Amino acid sequence: MTTTEFLPGRGAAVAATLFRFQSLFGLVLVLVAAIVFSPSHDGFPDFLTGENLFNVVRATAEIGIIAIGMTFVILAGGIDLSVGAMLGLAAVGSAVLLVQDGFGLVPAVLLVLAAGLAFGLLQGLASAVFGIQAFIVTLAGLQVARGLARIWSGGQGVAIAYGDGPGEAPVAFSLLGERTFGGLVPVPAVIFAVVAVAAIVFLRTSAFARHVYAIGGNEKAARLSGVAVTRVKVLVYGLSGLLAALAGIIHAGQLNQGSPNDGAGYELDAIAAVVIGGTALSGGRGSVSGTVAGALLLSVLNNILTLDNVEANVQLLIKGLVIVAAAGLQRLRPGP
Amino acid sequence: MEEPGTPLVAMTGVSKAYGGTLACDHVGFTVRRGEVHALLGENGAGKSTLVRILSGDVTGYHGTVEVDGQTVTFGSPLDARRRGIAMIPQELDLVPGLSVAANIFLGREPHTKAGTADRKRMHRETRELLARIGIALDPKRPVGELRTGEQQLVAIAKALALDARVLVMDEPTSALTGTEAERLAEVIGELRDAGAGIVYISHRLGEIGRIADRATVLRNGRVTGEFAARDLSAEQVTEAMLGRPVQALFRVRHTGSTGELLRLENFALRPRRYRPGRREPAGITLTVRRGEIVGLGGLLGSGRTELLETLFGAGTPGRWQGRMWLDGREVRPRSPRHAVRLGLALVPEDRRIAGLALDHSVRANTVLSVVDRLATAGFLRRRRENATAGEVLGELGVSGALADPAGTLSGGNQQKVVLARALLTEPDLLLLDEPTRGVDVGAKAEIYRLLADAAARGIGVLLASSEPAELVGVCDRVVVLRDGRSERELDTHDAGEAELLAAAMGEIR
Amino acid sequence: MSGTPRILPALALLLAAAACGTTHENSGQGATTAACHGAGGRYTIGVSQANLSEPYRKQMDDDIARAAKEVPQFTVHFADAQQDNAKQVADVENFLVQRIDLLIISPNEAAPLTAVVKKAYDKGIPVLVLDRKVDGDAYTQWIGADNYEIGRQAGQYLAEKILPHGGKIAEIRGLAGSTPAKERQDGFAKGIEGRGIDIVSTVDADWLREKGQQQADAVFKAHPEIQAVYAQNDPMAEGAYLAAKAAGLAGKVKFVGIDGLPIPSGGIKAVEAGRLAATFVYPTGGREAVASAKSILVDCAKPAKTQLLPTQLVTQANAAEVYAKGNR
Repeated sequence: MTTTEFLPGRGAAVAATLFRFQSLFGLVLVLVAAIVFSPSHDGFPDFLTGENLFNVVRATAEIGIIAIGMTFVILAGGIDLSVGAMLGLAAVGSAVLLVQDGFGLVPAVLLVLAAGLAFGLLQGLASAVFGIQAFIVTLAGLQVARGLARIWSGGQGVAIAYGDGPGEAPVAFSLLGERTFGGLVPVPAVIFAVVAVAAIVFLRTSAFARHVYAIGGNEKAARLSGVAVTRVKVLVYGLSGLLAALAGIIHAGQLNQGSPNDGAGYELDAIAAVVIGGTALSGGRGSVSGTVAGALLLSVLNNILTLDNVEANVQLLIKGLVIVAAAGLQRLRPGP
Repeated sequence: MEEPGTPLVAMTGVSKAYGGTLACDHVGFTVRRGEVHALLGENGAGKSTLVRILSGDVTGYHGTVEVDGQTVTFGSPLDARRRGIAMIPQELDLVPGLSVAANIFLGREPHTKAGTADRKRMHRETRELLARIGIALDPKRPVGELRTGEQQLVAIAKALALDARVLVMDEPTSALTGTEAERLAEVIGELRDAGAGIVYISHRLGEIGRIADRATVLRNGRVTGEFAARDLSAEQVTEAMLGRPVQALFRVRHTGSTGELLRLENFALRPRRYRPGRREPAGITLTVRRGEIVGLGGLLGSGRTELLETLFGAGTPGRWQGRMWLDGREVRPRSPRHAVRLGLALVPEDRRIAGLALDHSVRANTVLSVVDRLATAGFLRRRRENATAGEVLGELGVSGALADPAGTLSGGNQQKVVLARALLTEPDLLLLDEPTRGVDVGAKAEIYRLLADAAARGIGVLLASSEPAELVGVCDRVVVLRDGRSERELDTHDAGEAELLAAAMGEIR
Repeated sequence: MSGTPRILPALALLLAAAACGTTHENSGQGATTAACHGAGGRYTIGVSQANLSEPYRKQMDDDIARAAKEVPQFTVHFADAQQDNAKQVADVENFLVQRIDLLIISPNEAAPLTAVVKKAYDKGIPVLVLDRKVDGDAYTQWIGADNYEIGRQAGQYLAEKILPHGGKIAEIRGLAGSTPAKERQDGFAKGIEGRGIDIVSTVDADWLREKGQQQADAVFKAHPEIQAVYAQNDPMAEGAYLAAKAAGLAGKVKFVGIDGLPIPSGGIKAVEAGRLAATFVYPTGGREAVASAKSILVDCAKPAKTQLLPTQLVTQANAAEVYAKGNR
């Protein structure tokens, strides 16, 4: 009794390529589905209107930016659950500094970014130096950041009004809620694109990124090869905190408010974007470009489901299935 | 019981292809009751594929597998186990966090009347099983705390507990010390006498004649010879494995050593926190000169690995005692990174756990140690990386594409990648921990050649090994460790394997 | 490590599509009449709800759906922001892409939603804001009730009908720092002013039933002499009732709540069953919003900027009737 099953050489290579660009194919698939299923006016799909497409990119910006930070953390074999709360803390911080404390635009933004960086570095130190699991440290960090945001804001959203008077934020800050290039491209989308391109280049070509991959791939091997494992890990969490703070500033600028509950659950959306983007949760394998595609995929999905007036609860079901499908594809990926 | 000699297992015309390469090409062999059948061959010769087919781990092959004269098709290892075929893989399938007893009874725990796991019974039966193979281990100890060699014995005990009629052992002795290997040979003899069939894969040619009845030699997926194991000469087998005669496996000894490179005096480590299963350095005095290869011998658990890790700044945190000089300067490596800066490099014990990121490219694994040096303003150029990796891997004779995952390389080539990475840091002192474990004869010889080359360039080499033949054959001197102390130093010009073993055993009777 | 170009085609696609697409600007500053096509038109209404997991807001959507069914020209789409300001902004933007004819929104918070509501309004889409407000005046009509007034009426009722000779009571407040909690407290204080009513204990229970029960447990331990409890919503009043029952005070203490939702778990049923002495309907404004929408779109009328909704006292005498009316 014999069976005939030889793995085809050529086919395997094609399959490998498909999996390599999995998230992009997924994105294209969802885009096509979105166009097909879009409601339309005068024969033109609503989904494809410029306004709507940029709504999608703008809605991706915040999750996308924190997902980029998350990608670095996950590549190094860690996880950062604090990013959503950090976003809320940064949003509150921006609002309070600008409106109540009368800070100028640049000092306020720099201070908030520095706070995000410091918060991330502290978490990294706690995890890498004292050997506490990142999941625990950042879960605690989530609580701490939320608590700080509540205390700082007095438990309520801090509204941002614009003007030159006391209690008013510099008008320039309202740019974050505006659109540029003829009122079409939202400013947050531009920031997102810049961060994404910088991160893609950095991750592909920097020595630091090589160390990040090595730590995620085999931490012990990296350490024995002379990689400064602790330092790299700490910096990765710092980067994640910094990007979460940037997302928080954008959040405050877009919504004209910093509220302590902002960003609740964003960490899970970010992780979903990373996973759909093909980055292995166990670390060492993945890319920022995949994450960006993953984040866009989720946004397009959100957008088209809402345009089609699918009930919010059903939307959650569909998004859950997409994440499971993406993770399932990961398992099918041909290994070495 | 049927008379011994009836074929228990017969494989005929078995072929299996991965992608375009044939791992097995019309291979066949039989195992009779009460017989030990050795499978010999270099890594990649097809031995592992063959036994994985037999144990149900690999499906989708051509050819026939018969058990007790009946044709069988196993869909999974469980199917094979039901027919009495148990495999002890090279990468042990033990759960580190569970106790010895829990591992042995995993998935088939005996229950008390109350429905809870019957720990008392598990511990009693585990003790009996371990006694059968002659080791005394606490059944309650977590497997993760045990040394590799001890874990291997637990895996063997686990297979015995399953009442297997056919036991497939993939290099069971590669991590064992001499005495443990002796004990295992006795156990195998007992099992054979009880009517079991045993398939035995090993790289240690010396033990084949003692353990096996027959031997099948494979090369490039084909059978190149079948021998009665008793009248087997090492030359015969090696020639059948390599397809060419071997002149000398070990390097010709040289005496070109110059100045003193490493000196340890009463070197010891007081760990801040005790880590179970580790034998920290407790009084080691030795020297390594430039261009010299010094061996670290001793039994399993004598502290060889711990010494190398501590010297490399990767050991247990704790207080140093005694002194360490490198090139005349007193040093104290704080971390592997610091050690590399001081001119040390380590090829760690288990390349899969500590050496390589298997799904990263060969290139990325190779240049990892010098990424910072290769970068310009923090950024890398692919061309420069390729040149660096290509050059050193070429020198070491590693074939294969730079972009392929390291996991696709053979064991010998994987080890050479780890070695290449260590050499890229241009070390003064190269620390190696079991660099030829699980490596086939051909690659072994090449690794020895590379060590000799390194020594000839003035690098000092400290080589820890559990193979006496390797220590005697490759090293200029051997320092024998016992209980974390340097027990004796032997000059290999006038000491043989027997003396080495005796020194390692010390006063133990 | 993967290909950089992965994202580039996607962005290019988006940009290309954006270039082809057109933006539909129609800046008629809140020109409500522009949207009106009379009885012969067909109208799509978008309802952006802040958080459907609050029973009051679910009731609001249900009221809108029920009322809209009776207007054959109307098609209504609902979106639920799940308490997320950013999602609610996106919901409204999606409605704009769908080119709705009228927006009904119950904002999660004022400041974050102001800009997008103004954007819709500036496009000439009539906007009806329900319950919570937005900043500024870029909307067509606000429909809601006055929490201060409802609190005042609750206080007045308690002082006149339940404790006409004065007495000791406890007050259970909603989420500390929230506007409705403050207004319902201030109004209540006004209603009992000079009536000899002494609030011996004030606790916060975050609008939640279980929290109301916990807090009331402690209150009854400390002050078993309490004669009545004013809770700022019905679920907290029900929680306090359970606490009183556990303390053996059922029947001795009267409970007054607010909200009066016409659902089985709502305050009206609790009043009907005798657990609460009274509740005050805090109207959802759903029916009124559909009526306003009809007058704007079908009748081309220009509505008032504010439509203040009256409350209604619910006691055992009228509970069944109010409940039936609420579900018609």
